Amino acid sequence: MKEYDGRIRLVFKDRPLAGHALARPAHEAARCAGAKGKYWEYHDRLFAEQPAFERADLLLYAGEVGLDRAEFARCLDERRFAADVEADVRQAVALGIMRTPTLLVNGRRIEGAPPLEEFRAIVEQALRERR
Amino acid sequence: MSRAPSPTPRSPRVYTIILACALVFVPAGAPAQVELTVAPFMAKGPADAPVTIVDFSDYQ
Repeated sequence: MKEYDGRIRLVFKDRPLAGHALARPAHEAARCAGAKGKYWEYHDRLFAEQPAFERADLLLYAGEVGLDRAEFARCLDERRFAADVEADVRQAVALGIMRTPTLLVNGRRIEGAPPLEEFRAIVEQALRERR
Repeated sequence: MSRAPSPTPRSPRVYTIILACALVFVPAGAPAQVELTVAPFMAKGPADAPVTIVDFSDYQ
């Protein structure tokens, strides 16, 4: 992503799959972190630690990225971002996105994580089309 | 004179709206136009970047 600085916008969307019981709290937790300015730090932590997403784990990671754990616990327990995660899921379902990851590169859909070289070629093509 | 306490402010939820492009197809084959909400803290890079990558992922 670094090599494309300024030319790419990356938008993360929550698509917890139905069979993943621990995913939804993790997605809500990431948004709690985001509301306090720590979204990407927390996001990276979750990917590094998957699938350890019990409540105690989520609180531990919050502390590790420098968040106030008590405030974070309130956000998580009140499920402040449940509706936002659900909204992302609804949008994904409306687009027929049933597996993860699914990427949209200027609307072009890629299912699964492509090899780096293939992905770079797709991005380069999208950049050429916008010139 | 006492004032009623103001409610606790909610976390910022300012959203911008983007449109998924017509290249996205639903299983029936008709182009899907779905409004995607974007939480600003879940987006990186300039809003006017020539390429936007939307990543639907599952942490688990």
